Amino acid sequence: MNDYCRQSAASQQLANCSSCSLVSPIELGQCPRCQTQLHLRKPLSLQLTMAYLITALLLYIPANLWPMMVTEKLGQVEYNTIIGGIIVLWQDGSEPIAIVVFVASVLVPIIKFIILFMLCFSVYFSGLLCPAKRLKLYRLTELIGRWSMVDIFVVAILVALIQLEQLLNVQPGSGTVAFAGVVILTMIAAKSFDPRVLWDDFDRKCDH
Amino acid sequence: MFSEQVIACHHCDLLMTPPQVKEGECAICPRCNHKITRLHHSNINQLLSFAATGLILLFVTTQFNLMTFNLGGNVSQIDLWQSAINMYFDDYKVLAVLVLFFIFVLPALILLLIVAFILSLKTGIGCWAQTSMLRLIFVMMPWAMVEVFLVGILVSLVKLVTIAQMGLGWSFWAYAVFCFCYAKVLTLVDRYQFWHWIDEAHR
Repeated sequence: MNDYCRQSAASQQLANCSSCSLVSPIELGQCPRCQTQLHLRKPLSLQLTMAYLITALLLYIPANLWPMMVTEKLGQVEYNTIIGGIIVLWQDGSEPIAIVVFVASVLVPIIKFIILFMLCFSVYFSGLLCPAKRLKLYRLTELIGRWSMVDIFVVAILVALIQLEQLLNVQPGSGTVAFAGVVILTMIAAKSFDPRVLWDDFDRKCDH
Repeated sequence: MFSEQVIACHHCDLLMTPPQVKEGECAICPRCNHKITRLHHSNINQLLSFAATGLILLFVTTQFNLMTFNLGGNVSQIDLWQSAINMYFDDYKVLAVLVLFFIFVLPALILLLIVAFILSLKTGIGCWAQTSMLRLIFVMMPWAMVEVFLVGILVSLVKLVTIAQMGLGWSFWAYAVFCFCYAKVLTLVDRYQFWHWIDEAHR
């Protein structure tokens, strides 16, 4: 029985360099071409992914409760959270933009959380889906991860643009920092996850 | 184009003999369909020209206005720097620096390094730095969010168009074309191809 999946480089004690994709024996320690540290699998991949994910999940609470934007209109101060901003957009009649913002800043983070947690748990408990399907989900998280940043950029632009003293001005709210943290941490979590573990685990179970 | 005896898939670790890839063809992993490499019809010169064009456009972007905002005669306008850096003065320093990195510094560095790398390949100057340049390029790549910022501009434009008169400056158009060049560079960059060039240069 082997710890690594069938026909894999790792089962031959060969490591695929994460930087230059040169396959070389793990005994070398360093990639002969680019001097990157060689690993058969990303070290501590599941633990790190889970740690980043849980941190991001905790940050997601203030990201939604704290205001993203503080608008001051003729002396009246208005606090807008992510959801609040979307509702205002919808009521103002710009439904398509409301949908874009909703997808980018509500749906995408939630989908990322669900998929990454599911992938981590599927390694511990026997898999829900075949590895090929789980891999598709993993690629989806990598693809959509960065798009949550849209909301942060919108806040940055509005803050810079709308500075009309008492008449109308916009300031960033504390929620922006938390939300940027969520986006960055989930991106790091997706990066520290090693999809090859999915195949190892699948083949190990089939061998039993 | 492969100088290796064997290659392995990054997504499922399948060990395989390097495929024969012709120009315009794409090699995918037989087990998990991960895209391994793609050989483009275009060559190194096309990549160089797109990267250089991108850099020039990015410079143009810093010279003009990005957006103007007109609320009953009260006009304000911003350029690319201000769109990121204004948050700095509202005591959101980390966020301002992050945004500036995502939309400007990282894309600029990536293109600069690609241009420097190709020039170094062509002239043979600075061979020692080539591997570090490539490693840096691939580390930075996922963090450049050019296209996301472009969507951000459009979302804020639509958000404001109901309350004020909005205008787009030259910077916006330059950034949009820059975004196209950057996307083109991304599709032309291929890990195997790049490392293969290094192998050839050092042979």
